[in-house]
Amino acid sequence: MSDLPLEQQIASTPSMEEAIARAERAEQRMYLLLFAPALLLVLLFLGIPLAILAFQSFREGDSFTLMHYARIFQEPIYWRTYYDTLEISVIVTLLSVILGFPLAYAAAVASRRWSALILALVMLPFWTSVLVRTYAWLVVLQRRGIINTTLLNLGIIDQPLSLSHNFVAVLIGMLHVMLPFMVFPLYAAISKIPAELLQAGHSLGGSPAYVFRRVILPLSAPGIIAGSILVFILSLGFYLTPELLGGGKTIMVSSLVQRNVELYLQFGAASAVAMILLVTVCIIFWAVDRVLPVEKIVGMR
Amino acid sequence: MNSWPRLLLWITTTIVLIFMVLPIVIVVIMSFSNSRFLTFPPPAVSLRWYEAYFGSPDWMDATWNSFLLAVIATVVTVPIGTAAAYAANISQSKMVRRLQLLLLTPVMVPVIILAAGIYMVYAQVGLVATKTGLVCAYAMMNLPYVFISVLAGLRSFDMNQEDVARSLGVNRFTAFMKVTLPQIRPSVITGALFAFIGALDETVVSLFIAGGENQTLPRRMFMSLRNEIDPTIASISSVLITISFALMIMSSLRGKRAHAV
Amino acid sequence: MRTLTRAVSVMSIALAATLSTAALAQEAVTYATDGGAILDAMSPALIKPAEKSLGIRVITDTNADRYPPLKAQVASGKPIWDVVDFSAGYCARGVSEGLLEPLDYSKIPNAASVPAAFKDTHSVGLSAYATVLAYNTETFGDNGPKSWADFWDVKKFPGRRALRNYARPMLEIALLADGVAPANLYPLDVDRAYAKLKEIKPHIAVWWTSGAETTQLLVDGEVDMLPLWDGRVSAALREGAPAKFTRNQAIMENTCLAVPKGTQHKDSALKLINSLLDPKGQAAWVKEYTTGPLNTEFAKYVDPNRLKDLTTSPENLAMQVPLSATWWASPAGADAEKRWLGFMQN
Repeated sequence: MSDLPLEQQIASTPSMEEAIARAERAEQRMYLLLFAPALLLVLLFLGIPLAILAFQSFREGDSFTLMHYARIFQEPIYWRTYYDTLEISVIVTLLSVILGFPLAYAAAVASRRWSALILALVMLPFWTSVLVRTYAWLVVLQRRGIINTTLLNLGIIDQPLSLSHNFVAVLIGMLHVMLPFMVFPLYAAISKIPAELLQAGHSLGGSPAYVFRRVILPLSAPGIIAGSILVFILSLGFYLTPELLGGGKTIMVSSLVQRNVELYLQFGAASAVAMILLVTVCIIFWAVDRVLPVEKIVGMR
Repeated sequence: MNSWPRLLLWITTTIVLIFMVLPIVIVVIMSFSNSRFLTFPPPAVSLRWYEAYFGSPDWMDATWNSFLLAVIATVVTVPIGTAAAYAANISQSKMVRRLQLLLLTPVMVPVIILAAGIYMVYAQVGLVATKTGLVCAYAMMNLPYVFISVLAGLRSFDMNQEDVARSLGVNRFTAFMKVTLPQIRPSVITGALFAFIGALDETVVSLFIAGGENQTLPRRMFMSLRNEIDPTIASISSVLITISFALMIMSSLRGKRAHAV
Repeated sequence: MRTLTRAVSVMSIALAATLSTAALAQEAVTYATDGGAILDAMSPALIKPAEKSLGIRVITDTNADRYPPLKAQVASGKPIWDVVDFSAGYCARGVSEGLLEPLDYSKIPNAASVPAAFKDTHSVGLSAYATVLAYNTETFGDNGPKSWADFWDVKKFPGRRALRNYARPMLEIALLADGVAPANLYPLDVDRAYAKLKEIKPHIAVWWTSGAETTQLLVDGEVDMLPLWDGRVSAALREGAPAKFTRNQAIMENTCLAVPKGTQHKDSALKLINSLLDPKGQAAWVKEYTTGPLNTEFAKYVDPNRLKDLTTSPENLAMQVPLSATWWASPAGADAEKRWLGFMQN
């Protein structure tokens, strides 16, 4: 190119740039084209349904109305269910941190073989259908199930405990489903803490509590946040376990949505309930996104 | 570390692990019970509930349907998700990056909301209880898993290799198929596995939009669990646990080769 | 790479094969009904023979609440179900809401021996059943609750209780417990019924939603007393449940068969209905399940000793209280039903 006279070089440059720009645009178009089917799938089968829900939530008959939202605040059936859902989600999240932390920590500090075993024992239920696990809890928790029979036989209790068809059963069943979602991000965070740091803490004479508070806890914080958000959000919209273990009582918002759609054909009411849940989830994701990118959290699921 | 916190740690770990695994062990034992009651341990061993499962045309139909739908949904999801991940990986365009987050929304929206919304749309256009409707819903729901998994694979792959192939005169598609795909294959397979399990396992959306000739196994199981605690569920559960176990081993073997997920 | 391509091609061939065999398969009719013991008994007695003689495949879709899904299905214009059974009030409502196909009785010859009171232009009666009171004999011996008033008496009869998570016939039961005479039951005093239910609500451990669930509750001893359908309690007794039941003040209703509007398989649906009303088949059904088939001819094929146990035997009719489907189909009935959700939540 340098052999060419200067004028020609100057003349050719814009067309070169143009060609490069054209090629780049073509390239970009191709990427968009490759991206389009996925986008279309999500827009058609997620975008439209959500749009319809939003639309329906403001409609009764042929006119616009706020009655579906007003009802949620006026009728105790609705706000009580929201309250209960929040309560149970918070409890499940806290319990899974409390129970998940030792597990994740043990897996992180154990020898490779033990660590693999611990993770496998968490993985197995994780890969097992939620329905299967719920069935298992029905067997374990019912009035003549193994917990009650064992306790009765041991003489610890003389009346069977009410473990099934209630809040306790829902809590246990949900915790079992949610725990792996807490353990995996926690394990990822804790196993990144350098072993020397822990040893340094100990060798400097720090008590285990001190090392835990000053070293382990701050460094595993991202794992705790990711796990908690995951568990909390999944709990908010959880349907199967509360419905099957709850003894026919409407405990969670999800059941309220299902019943309004399938039993009462109240699409407006169901949509409003769903929209509030959706907005709640969006706000949580938006707030958390400032601390931890959403892709990271979702990727762990 | 002092010994007592260490002891405490291992005791808690053991208890929590028992909590995790116990129900699964119990289901497997219950499946060999000869009784219709939920008595534990079972009075005697029998294959009664396995016969009830494999001998029932209704259960078999539902199983076959679920399997078929999951296969079709996987075949649909994997190329779409892979194409999107490919584009997202190399495109510099801000738009693609912003749209990327949109592809993750199916796992961010609570399933019950998806189910209710899809049902309302399907009811209008006559897609309720159709194979098309179910496959599209499953494909949409599992797209993020394929996308995330393949994207992770592509990120650790050196795209220059594909450019080299193209500079040798191979067209882009062939370069992708011959050079890139074989190297990111573990993550594509992991994504496919997730999509397959996701579709096979999907219950809440199926509750709303499956039924009739297009009944699925999880929907039938849910109905049966809500209505009666039919011990046939225990035998089906054991079969499913065996499958999960096999898949888990498969995926952990794969995981050793490439940490895709 | 080659293996992947091969896998895809094998898959698509398999797919094409299954889709084409599905197209060649016999006509499938979907029958929506209740699950559990009733279906277990119905299947060999009525459904399997129908499949054989009609050359169709009958898919059963079990669902405890069939009316709302049916309504949604008909509204969508493409119902999934071809035949559905309901408790009679719903058939009446289905007719008034225009959800059902008219029945061509020339295609249902077996309906001729169903009493006229149990058939109309759009539905035909299948069988009668009653909501009886059952109790666990391990808890109460033979001296369990004998009336709905006893059920409400938590001091005399302590124990875990279940009620149906549904207004019908819980309101009737509450009013009978409150001392209303069976003859003065209708129109129901809805306020009084809910007030009475509120009294017992704190003592209810399980709110059951389906018949099959009640069998399970009794078999597993999950509750000590509950109102449930006569067929379900008999099924529990067959399973060896430690229980007894009384037909005193039992609420009697009946189920009806109907065809959803817009079905793709109307002809086969009518044929299936005719087969479900087959007197010999109904006789075989009641051998295994306690109910009262409405094709009166069935009695010819049943052992007289067994007839005594059925819902429709004269002795039992004298003790039971018939439910008014007409009242429940009225606006007052619909309102009373809607109040249930609010009652459950408070």
